[in-house]
Amino acid sequence: MDFSLTDEQELLVDSVNEFADRYFDEEKINAWYDQHGLPESVSRAYLDAGFGYMGIPEEYGGVPCDKVTLGVLTEAVGHATGAVMPFLNNTLAMVDMLDMGNEDQVKMCLDAYEHTGHPIFSLGFSEPAAGSDNAAMTSVTREQADGSFILSGQKTWVTEGEKLPYCLIVAKEEDPDRKNRDMTMWLVPMNLDGIKTAPLVKIGQTIMPFCELYLDNVKLTPDMLVGERKAGFMNMMKNFEMERALIVAQGLGMAQAAMDDAAAYATERITFGMPIARQEMIMYHLTEMEAKLQNTRSLLYKVLWMMDQGKSTQMESALLKYYGAKACTEVASDALQIYAGLGYTTETRLGRIWKDLRGNQIAGGTDEIMVYICGRQLAKRYARK
Amino acid sequence: MEVLVSLKIVPDDQDIQTTADGKLDFSIAKPVISSYDQNAIEAAAQIEGANVSAITVGPASINDTKQRKNILARGPKQLFMVADDTFQDADANVTAKAIVAGAQKAGNFDLIVFGAGSADTYAQQVGIQVGELLGWPVVNGVSKITAGEGSITVERTTETEVQTIDVPLPAVVAVTSDIVEPRIPSMRDILKAGKLPVTEWTAADLGSDTTKAIDIIETVAPAPADRKREVFDASVDGDIDKFAAALAEALR
Ligand SMILES: Cc1cc2nc3c(=O)[nH]c(=O)nc-3n(C[C@H](O)[C@H](O)[C@H](O)COP(=O)(O)OP(=O)(O)OC[C@H]3O[C@@H](n4cnc5c(N)ncnc54)[C@H](O)[C@@H]3O)c2cc1C
Repeated sequence: MDFSLTDEQELLVDSVNEFADRYFDEEKINAWYDQHGLPESVSRAYLDAGFGYMGIPEEYGGVPCDKVTLGVLTEAVGHATGAVMPFLNNTLAMVDMLDMGNEDQVKMCLDAYEHTGHPIFSLGFSEPAAGSDNAAMTSVTREQADGSFILSGQKTWVTEGEKLPYCLIVAKEEDPDRKNRDMTMWLVPMNLDGIKTAPLVKIGQTIMPFCELYLDNVKLTPDMLVGERKAGFMNMMKNFEMERALIVAQGLGMAQAAMDDAAAYATERITFGMPIARQEMIMYHLTEMEAKLQNTRSLLYKVLWMMDQGKSTQMESALLKYYGAKACTEVASDALQIYAGLGYTTETRLGRIWKDLRGNQIAGGTDEIMVYICGRQLAKRYARK
Repeated sequence: MEVLVSLKIVPDDQDIQTTADGKLDFSIAKPVISSYDQNAIEAAAQIEGANVSAITVGPASINDTKQRKNILARGPKQLFMVADDTFQDADANVTAKAIVAGAQKAGNFDLIVFGAGSADTYAQQVGIQVGELLGWPVVNGVSKITAGEGSITVERTTETEVQTIDVPLPAVVAVTSDIVEPRIPSMRDILKAGKLPVTEWTAADLGSDTTKAIDIIETVAPAPADRKREVFDASVDGDIDKFAAALAEALR
């Protein structure tokens, strides 16, 4: 068993740190959170430095790499910035499109990505009454005599929905009933008649706002179809496992940043005549935090390694998302506790990290849904043969 | 134009620790490219039409697979690695002789590029001595290099003026630490670096004179001085003068 990074992965981490030194500081990051986005120059620079092409196949100008390396990149960015950055979502969106889109759609997305450093579409899956239970969605398309489709319904929590020019929407065909599983995926231009959005205020991760999306008799044409008709549900689930692992990778980097701050502070803050790092309760916090970080990291890279080996990670990726997302929030919460009064101000980044990480227990599948996925698998795995 | 960039691999200064008795502990300090030399590598890589090779001299510990790739991910097409414990604590003259021997063995170079100084000793000597040993012109403090026909034009930025100098080749230059910003190697660069050639030589392979002119007897960190805890009070007559006098005394 070998736990070490390769030379190449270590150099990649060095490059990420160098990039972060040049482009990010706390003041800028806080400003981008307030402004709800990164300047295009930074997204472009990330792409130009080659990070944004990682995980994209060579024939599309990308730099193919294994999933472990993509995890190393994602954790490193989280660690170097202590912030949620849209880069991870960008890569995932491009990979989704390469998997599911037709040649024209792939080309359109890649051209725009190369140009702006952003993907061109957001993801419109969740609905007010259908989050965990995607199959309960009621957005529906009705086929018209002229071959077009009329889309009606509502999507919500659409990350970057008001910024990106397209939305990848899943809707049922013809009948909104719970039992209808005929769902189809569409790449919908946001400037079509009948589309309205309304901003939703997030408590964290405000660098990437999300929004409500109202779809009122929107006319879709067959060229907007993504993948096979009625395969929308399967397609929606397709890259979930990878997405979950990378959400944890990003959160892990951020939780590690919180640990770096808090553990250093504990050696400096004096109470009762000694650094708080020598108080047993603080030692306990630090020990718990380190254990959670190391456990999350071990599980993360094991899951990514399993994916690289082509093994099924249905259970492990849910286990990772369940354990890792929660553990990272707890690390940030303990870090804030160590900073105490100062931690509860905006003078440190701990409050931001904590709020951001809290969202990861919901986005990409809630903790409870992870238990649900895991629990079913566990029952099967441990049943007496 | 055949360009050789000379660089030093040093222990990462962020991880050098001082022990209780003032000794320097390098045990957890990993080898890294001396920071000023990263600018030299980039400056060499940016010279138009340059075919860049790199050379480094030091103890066996510098032959680190990660740093080899790190160097080659930054522009050079090949690396000459002179790693031999004979070069532990080598002085500038021993290092310069090894670089000259290495350069002569490696090929015909038109230009050898150095950084401003090394991140550990910063003596700013090796480049000058290499030029002297080769009998080539040396210009240091170079803030810009432009390739010409059989010559290069370099700029030196002094406090009051910018000197523009035509330097016939072959020549040696040492560049400033802000001549160009070093690149951030991309994954593509890093992956490619592993496939580029590295030639390893020992001191014996080079046959250069390794007799040190300087012997290092001991390296110790200065003992931290206790604070004097002298407090002056601006509202007390004459205290400001006393403060100025104390300051002048301390600086003397
Ligand atoms: C930061 C962030 C970004 C997001 N970005 C997007 C996006 O870009 N596009 C998009 O489509 N959506 C996005 N979402 C929405 C997200 O996918 C949903 O919020 C999530 O799937 C949960 O759905 P819900 O909020 O409707 O909760 P519900 O499904 O209503 O769940 C309510 C509670 O019940 C629990 N629960 C539900 N079902 C079960 C069950 N079977 N067993 C046990 N417990 C259960 C849940 O875990 C939760 O605690 C985002 C969310 C967040 C927080």
